[in-house]
Amino acid sequence: MNENEIIEKVKKVISEVLGVDKDKIGLEDRFVEDLGAESVQSLELVAAFEEEFNIEIDEEKALEVKTVGKAVEFIKENLAK
Amino acid sequence: MKILIYEDNKWISLTPISYLKPVFELRCGFTSILEKIMPVLPEGDVIIWVRDYLKDMCKEKFNYKVNEDDFLKDDVLIINGRWLINKEFKFNLDEEKLFTNNGEIIYGLLKKESVNKCWNGNIDEFLEILKNNLKKEETDFTLIKFPWDLVHYNSELIKFEFKKRNKRGIFGKFSDRASIYGSEEDIFIAPEAEIYPFVVIDTSEGPVYIDKGVKVFPFSVIIGPSYIGEKTQIMPGAKIREGNSFGPICRIGGEVEESIFHSYSNKYHDGFIGHSYIGEFVNLGALTTNSDLKNDYSNVSVYLNGKPVDTGELKVGSFIGDHTKTSIGTFFNTGTIAGIMCNITADNILPKYFPSFVWFVNGKFMKGYGVDYSIKTAKIAMERRNRNLLPSEEYAIRKVYEMTESERKTYIEKSRKILK
Repeated sequence: MNENEIIEKVKKVISEVLGVDKDKIGLEDRFVEDLGAESVQSLELVAAFEEEFNIEIDEEKALEVKTVGKAVEFIKENLAK
Repeated sequence: MKILIYEDNKWISLTPISYLKPVFELRCGFTSILEKIMPVLPEGDVIIWVRDYLKDMCKEKFNYKVNEDDFLKDDVLIINGRWLINKEFKFNLDEEKLFTNNGEIIYGLLKKESVNKCWNGNIDEFLEILKNNLKKEETDFTLIKFPWDLVHYNSELIKFEFKKRNKRGIFGKFSDRASIYGSEEDIFIAPEAEIYPFVVIDTSEGPVYIDKGVKVFPFSVIIGPSYIGEKTQIMPGAKIREGNSFGPICRIGGEVEESIFHSYSNKYHDGFIGHSYIGEFVNLGALTTNSDLKNDYSNVSVYLNGKPVDTGELKVGSFIGDHTKTSIGTFFNTGTIAGIMCNITADNILPKYFPSFVWFVNGKFMKGYGVDYSIKTAKIAMERRNRNLLPSEEYAIRKVYEMTESERKTYIEKSRKILK
């Protein structure tokens, strides 16, 4: 999967979980401050990313992911493992 | 003589409330099971025997030897840590014999020679060998087997222990606008307790014991038999129905019936809890409510360690492990088990079983933020009540996290499949 495909899928997941317009999601956007994620929604995002990319995300490390761009990098690293 | 108070492998049937404490630390009536055993013991050195991962924690918490086999050197009185002493009794130590209930050992005197012959370092195997080799006498003593047993015996224990303590009268501050309905002989209000105006204490069906430093705020009613532990606060307008025991430093509001709150737990707001056992440092969000009776009046079944068990009881509420938190508006189904350190948010019909450490969000089981995050939160909650999490307690939490990992994963995966 190339980076653009990952970005598209990440945006799709965020749009579905947080109910925001996919086209308005940018890589610099912060989950909490810009996209309005509540703390419990971040757990839903982790679950949805795991399902979408068929990966296992470390809960502690996921806490450090604050932006869409970081989520893309994080997933890229996980897919490479 | 040595005295060995042990927990056997049946502790697992008392989960989730036994995950972070030995079975004899569970409460019923005024005190823990162990606190009922200690006053009736004969002279002797006490040794306690617990599952391995609680060993260090027990060494720090209790002033007894833990998991040390010194008892091999002497005659031994062995005592099951699930024995609930709910009536007057005297040890029969005339001869080497085991006293049992339904074949399970309650207590027994063992001669040094038998101990040496039967002990192989494993408590459960030791007990089996003893049962197969020593004389036995069946009794009607009470053994706690499941969490709902503690709730079942709670009212009777409060009545028994009130009589046994033989303390009566009002020694705390009792507003002249508060009332007692029923006999004043059946009430004890300890020094430093404070009963505010417009509180009603009803002793017509059983005694009410209010311990040191308790505050009962206005417009609350407490119906006996009930025990309110040290420094617990009964919030304004609370309906404390019959059969409740609250351990120390709880905050209880809303309606509570036939339930045990272990200690340091909060149910600050409205909502009903009935026929339940709530662990330590549990926080129930506003309006958290549990059902304790099925609409068809059939026996309540409970998922114990993920498997259904018929409780044989019509009224069974929830059993909630230490440090679990619920959101506002959480409605528990009849006979719910929630493990330790769960975060449960409201949904239409909640599942009846929550593995330890899960987060239940929008109708789905999730894995949360991991054990370190849960421990960090527990430390904050404990510090707010001037308690520190001991390293041995942290170790026990981590062990339970490992032990429950597989069932947690199963529930998370199932939940994702169902919702796909």
